[in-house]
Amino acid sequence: MTGFTVDPWDPGYAAALAVEALSELGATSAELVLDVERPAADWKPVTPGPSAAAPGTLLVADGVRRIDARVWVHDDDAPMPLPGIAASYAAGIVRCGPDGAELAAIDVHRTLISASPLTPEVKTAHAVYRPSRAAGSAFDELSLALQRQVTQSEVDLAVRHRSASDDLLLVDGPLRGRTHLPRTVGYIKTHHTAYLPSPQSAVVAALGPGQRTPVFLMGTSWRRHAWYLRLPVQSSAPWAGIARCEASADLDAGEVARLADAVTLALPALAGVDYKDPRAPQNLVPIGGLEKLLRHHLGDARLLYRSLRNASR
Amino acid sequence: MTVNGAAASLEATAEVPASGEVVGRVLGTQAASPLSFWVGLEPGKVLQLDDVVVTRREVPGYGPVLMAGVVSTVEARHEGAAYDSDVFLIADGALPAAVVEVAEVRVTRVEPEVFVPPLPGATVYLARGGDRDQALYFDVMERRVPLGMGRDGQPLYVNFDFLDGTRGAHVSISGVSGVATKTSFATFLLYSIFNSGVLRDESANTKALIFSVKGEDLLFLDHDNLRLDESARGVYGRLGLPARAFGSVHVFAPPRPGDPNGVPHVAARTQGVSAFYWTLVEFCAEELLRFVFADADDERAGYSLLVGQVAARLKAWAEPVGDGGAVMVRGTACRTFADLVELLSDELQDEAGRQEWTGAQTPLGTVNAFLRRLRSAVRALSPIIRGDLPFYRNHSVSTSDAQVSIVDLHNLPERAQRFVVGVVLRGEFHRKESSGTARPLLFVVLDELNKYAPREGDSPIKEILLDVAERGRSLGVILIGAQQTASEVERRIVSNSAVRVAGRLDPAEAARSEYGWLPPAVRERATIAKPGTMFVAQPEIPVPLAVAFPFPAWATRPAEAAARAATATSEDPFKGLPGVEDDIPPF
Repeated sequence: MTGFTVDPWDPGYAAALAVEALSELGATSAELVLDVERPAADWKPVTPGPSAAAPGTLLVADGVRRIDARVWVHDDDAPMPLPGIAASYAAGIVRCGPDGAELAAIDVHRTLISASPLTPEVKTAHAVYRPSRAAGSAFDELSLALQRQVTQSEVDLAVRHRSASDDLLLVDGPLRGRTHLPRTVGYIKTHHTAYLPSPQSAVVAALGPGQRTPVFLMGTSWRRHAWYLRLPVQSSAPWAGIARCEASADLDAGEVARLADAVTLALPALAGVDYKDPRAPQNLVPIGGLEKLLRHHLGDARLLYRSLRNASR
Repeated sequence: MTVNGAAASLEATAEVPASGEVVGRVLGTQAASPLSFWVGLEPGKVLQLDDVVVTRREVPGYGPVLMAGVVSTVEARHEGAAYDSDVFLIADGALPAAVVEVAEVRVTRVEPEVFVPPLPGATVYLARGGDRDQALYFDVMERRVPLGMGRDGQPLYVNFDFLDGTRGAHVSISGVSGVATKTSFATFLLYSIFNSGVLRDESANTKALIFSVKGEDLLFLDHDNLRLDESARGVYGRLGLPARAFGSVHVFAPPRPGDPNGVPHVAARTQGVSAFYWTLVEFCAEELLRFVFADADDERAGYSLLVGQVAARLKAWAEPVGDGGAVMVRGTACRTFADLVELLSDELQDEAGRQEWTGAQTPLGTVNAFLRRLRSAVRALSPIIRGDLPFYRNHSVSTSDAQVSIVDLHNLPERAQRFVVGVVLRGEFHRKESSGTARPLLFVVLDELNKYAPREGDSPIKEILLDVAERGRSLGVILIGAQQTASEVERRIVSNSAVRVAGRLDPAEAARSEYGWLPPAVRERATIAKPGTMFVAQPEIPVPLAVAFPFPAWATRPAEAAARAATATSEDPFKGLPGVEDDIPPF
């Protein structure tokens, strides 16, 4: 008989592996082209010029995930059941415009991930968990499989929504898999790797609020344009309030500079405040709000946990 | 359903479908109970305070149960905002959040009576037609009197059973002077009773007695109002009432001071006015002396026994002299009230005379206090206690002349007002008592009830008013009392009122326990109520109704008064001749 059992451990336990670090995995050595906008020797902070304007409407995309339960997937032929996770995740797009911020699109999914080919589809009283397969049984691999699905869901949603409107789309996280979307910018809050060599990374530290570095081209496992910008921040630490943006590698230098200017003008107004959000200022207000909304759409965790336990009997 | 015979307007019931538009759903985040529940509003839908809503629930074994109620609270807020400053982020379009509107509903009726809560998610409708009638019990009111319009623009009613003594009687109206429109509401209520058809064949004989203390406002009740516009007429139409003035009004006013013929002291009105006063003969024979001492202070002063003794002696010894109502007491003729007081003063200050008048030993201090108080009444009462006017003239206040009798008190000092109210009320009450039947009814409108029936102390007027409040229901005397502060009125009078009405209330006053019948939200709102808005509580409906009564169809001041309908007078062949009261042949 194939089935599953819910592990009584708290689902949040050992799930602390940074999601963003996972998505950066594999970024070992970066190929850099520094003179896209200005010569590498002439790097200095850029303040958007008078011709640049912030976009009237900004779309912000993000996804959230939550592990609802840790489970054991049974296999009568195997000596011991395989570990798995039951998770809910959601991707959404919020439209920030003159009429207020509203949820433009949302996708909610639930999945049961394990390394077993016999992973069942779980129908509970409140939700259906679709089976999917991870490469291995280690928790990191299960988590990475879940993250892939979240990212895929975000990409699907963005592609679907992109066909309906051409407003500037800001994607939370790297642009991986979405570089072909027009007018789309990736937004990275945390910095795990120092991509720039030392003279240029000094320019990052010298940025004032609302300024950005010149655009550069970077290629790790895939190529994209990138720039750093500084959001308004209280702290005077050198890299406080620094965020990185990414845009498609297919754009020419003029287009990408205009895009960078528009984003640099738009973002400071959306920066978070530290007493409200521990990840401020990089965690933008629309992203924080969207995450809250998405988490709300994931449903009540205790309710789902209970229904999973009921279904496992 | 037939209501109020043919005159009832049932257009609301007939034309509007039973359930109105969907406004929202019962909330599940706030516990729903059989007595109150919360409604989340659909985007674009609005509920305001006092709206009537219904929802239904299928209960096994009982079928559909209707739960109807009145909106008592409405709230709007940002859902998803954690900090107060988030409002700017949301308004600027940075933070996604939803605006939600919720309303609290106080259940007024559950039909059939299965007290189950409505289920969260159940659809809530704005009540229309039959549902609204059920929610507010209008469907079980066999005789209903229109009160005015609700906030939803539909008529609201009061059950006449609670006005005419069948199941209750008396109305108590409270509110701040000037903005609460107490008198206007009382007049409209009378108009509605007379014209809505609830009285059936008694409508001609049912009478109203209004004591007017507020200038000459009420003297034009029988004149059409020139400022009545089409929309106001429409309101009357929807209430099922004709938009016209009172048909039959007679005004009683005190005689003009110093006028030898006792012409009524009224400036603005010439027809249907007569003077009222009491002759000295009546004063002595009917023992009216006690109404001269009608203050609460008088009762405390300890001479009430003396007042009774003197009144009894006057009744026994006073003999009519001449035809002007003068009296002869122990050989002295009194033609004016001052004469009578002088006589009493002389007699009582004399040792021997005092023995005869008081019968027993009375301390001189008490006698002097009595005389001091009596003398101070001369100025106030001289104009209305007379022995010097032609006696044959009709001079008493009577409700038989017209449907609405108005006793104009505004020209009289307070002492005289008390005297008039006390004597007239006693007369009418005794008349009803002796007639032996409650029908036809007599409605008595009395403002400033706190003056005539104060919570503290005793007075002859308070006795009569208590009598009216406690026995009037069976005798057919219905008190419509008004006061600024119900907390200062004798508790038994207020508690005997079946229908309670509040206009704009003073915030300190609204907090008192006398207004316990107003739920807290309504009480708060009563402090900002506009003129023309009243909160009416009746025994059948568990929440007070917010009523906007229509603009009066009768004139309330000379500038508004249309000329009396010409068609009615042109048929009179004696048109242009002096009126009956003005020129009676001297034989």
